[in-house]
Amino acid sequence: MYQYSEQDQRLIEERAEQFRDQTRRYLAGEIPEDEYRVLRLQNGLYIQTHAPMLRVAINYGLLSSAQLRGLAEVARKYDKGYAHITTRQNIQFNWPALEQVPDILADLAKVQMHAIQTSGSCIRSVTSDHFSGVFDDEIEDPRPWSEIIRQWAALHPEFAYLPRKFKIAVTGSAQDRAATQVHDIGVRLVRNDEGRVGFEVLVGGGLGRTPMIGKQIRPFLEKEDLLTYLEAILRVYNLRGRRDNKYKARIKILVDAMGADAFRDEVEAEWDRIKDSDLRLTEAEMERVRGHFPAHPYQNDASEDTSYPERLASDRDFAIWIERNTVDHKVPGYRAVTLTLKDFLKAPGDVTDAQMDLIADLADRYNFGEIRTTHQQNMVLAHIKQADLYPLWQALAEAGLARPVVGTINDMIVCPGLDFCSLANAYTLGVARQIQERFDDLDYLYDLGEMRLNMSGCINACAHHHVGHIGILGVDKKGESYYQFTLGGSSREDVSLGKVLGKSIPSEEVADTLEKIIGVFIENRLEGERFIDCVRRIGNAPFKERVYASHH
Amino acid sequence: MPLIINQQRVNDDTWLRVSEEQPLPSAGDRLVPWALWCEHKATLKAAEGRLGVLIEPDQELEALAPDLPDLALVAINFPSFADGRGFSLARLLREKYGFTGQVRAVGAVSWDRLRFMARCGFDALEVPEERYSDDMLQAFDEISVRYQGAADDPRPLFRR
Ligand code: SF4
Repeated sequence: MYQYSEQDQRLIEERAEQFRDQTRRYLAGEIPEDEYRVLRLQNGLYIQTHAPMLRVAINYGLLSSAQLRGLAEVARKYDKGYAHITTRQNIQFNWPALEQVPDILADLAKVQMHAIQTSGSCIRSVTSDHFSGVFDDEIEDPRPWSEIIRQWAALHPEFAYLPRKFKIAVTGSAQDRAATQVHDIGVRLVRNDEGRVGFEVLVGGGLGRTPMIGKQIRPFLEKEDLLTYLEAILRVYNLRGRRDNKYKARIKILVDAMGADAFRDEVEAEWDRIKDSDLRLTEAEMERVRGHFPAHPYQNDASEDTSYPERLASDRDFAIWIERNTVDHKVPGYRAVTLTLKDFLKAPGDVTDAQMDLIADLADRYNFGEIRTTHQQNMVLAHIKQADLYPLWQALAEAGLARPVVGTINDMIVCPGLDFCSLANAYTLGVARQIQERFDDLDYLYDLGEMRLNMSGCINACAHHHVGHIGILGVDKKGESYYQFTLGGSSREDVSLGKVLGKSIPSEEVADTLEKIIGVFIENRLEGERFIDCVRRIGNAPFKERVYASHH
Repeated sequence: MPLIINQQRVNDDTWLRVSEEQPLPSAGDRLVPWALWCEHKATLKAAEGRLGVLIEPDQELEALAPDLPDLALVAINFPSFADGRGFSLARLLREKYGFTGQVRAVGAVSWDRLRFMARCGFDALEVPEERYSDDMLQAFDEISVRYQGAADDPRPLFRR
């Protein structure tokens, strides 16, 4: 993975010191509240319901074991012994003291980590495919490109005060695991007719109050033009994006208002001017960054091990976990393993300091010291030899990290909601527990096939409820938490926005409602049909009828 | 108001702010709001002394471009701390229109934006009295690493 140069390291250390001084001046009354708010957000610090919340960047979801241990140490030393993986592959600490945040940042800098631009109206940390480099069908590894974008975006002097937050996702595969169509910019590696690899560029996707799917503004961009093109887009947005209404300030609104063609014309006119500037990437720079992501030293004979098939045949629980939580790797004899942070009745995405230390050790022992975070709030050990799968499974199971629920409604994406988030309208964690309790029969869930459930505690849609196969949005009705369902969303290559089922329902009825929805699915599904395909085929009407029947 | 030019505090600002309410001064370094400039361009140019224009962040630079040869200063207003349009305007003035006169930041100019402003091409920074301290000059050196090229140095780190 990317190793910091002396300059990369100096930048994050100086940034940590700069933030220390900003906080000192704020506490001394030299920076007004509203200014400090902007400054702290640019460095990932929110003031939450109970305490500040610090969001630390895990750039494109990639961590070393040393970094994960560093995060565990922060959770222990400054927090309550746990942290929360976000839907943008970052990690949040919910209980740090404001005065200690500069020390946390200094500690994190020692393991090449930081909180730069994890929040605020600036270019946010870049996200990417958590299975980068794992599958054969990948056009090219997206991580070097994510890193190149990260460096360009970090402390960019022109784009620190945008109209609104700005999120970029990169994918190297046609299988879109990075949700590129619902980002402000989606960058997709593609191969053109001549066989050259470059980028397709999408602009103006996003969720929140006005969900929209990104529009292609450039079908093919040469690699060396990546940064000049991004800079042209950002400049047009910085100057033209609305600043009078924060609900209309995202780039999706601008692209929609101008029309994709007019927006493209303006971007291309600016790009024409700067495409041959010094910002054009050099061969040497692309080579340098690519060189940080070499293939791991895989063993050629990994598939010859015989213990693995024996274990598969003799241990049913192990076999189920293999089927549910692991996928084939392009190197024979290896599999990529998802560590589910979705233990029974635990808050989805939460991970304790002890678990982090254990995962770091397991990564050192079995996975070249590498760990990834996913936007489904899980972790991935991407390169496990088949002979190591059994001992790995045992260790994970003991630590509550092997619940075989990947792709089921128990693998739900859930934001912290009213328990922690000051913007929330409704509780989410209690409802997640209610769902887990109701659907605790895993065999039943397996029979349902892939079913993605995403639940957000307010319209900001941090849990991407619009693109869950089943989306649940918490709303406030006279001080009570109510829940609105959407069906038929997807963030994948077959992207779609879920459609609202009907009026919101009270919290105690969420699991019942899910059961009714699933009932309709079971009655209507064709052999082997996925839930989402069934919804697309029969529409919302039959579901609506069942869910609201008893209310009439 | 305290003025920083080329990262140093200067004490004499020769520029006179012209406003709607007062009669047009007949000479000297005059800084004129855009609307007034458009209205009295000819009169202003006929008098002795240098001219500058004050623009708001929604200014179309294309409209200003033909006048740049007549101007020794362009001042860009920052109406609030969160408004970042001025950063792009300054870069465009320098890099697209090749403006070599003074580019001055006015309005919400404070410690934590000085460095980015300087990078984007502002050589003059007008800081509200109550926000000024000599200590703030260290803002320019807080971060020594620059990944990006900008108006001060077009080369990104990878070309240096
Ligand atoms: S969706 Fe709303 S409640 Fe949930 S984390 Fe985001 S802002 Fe908070």
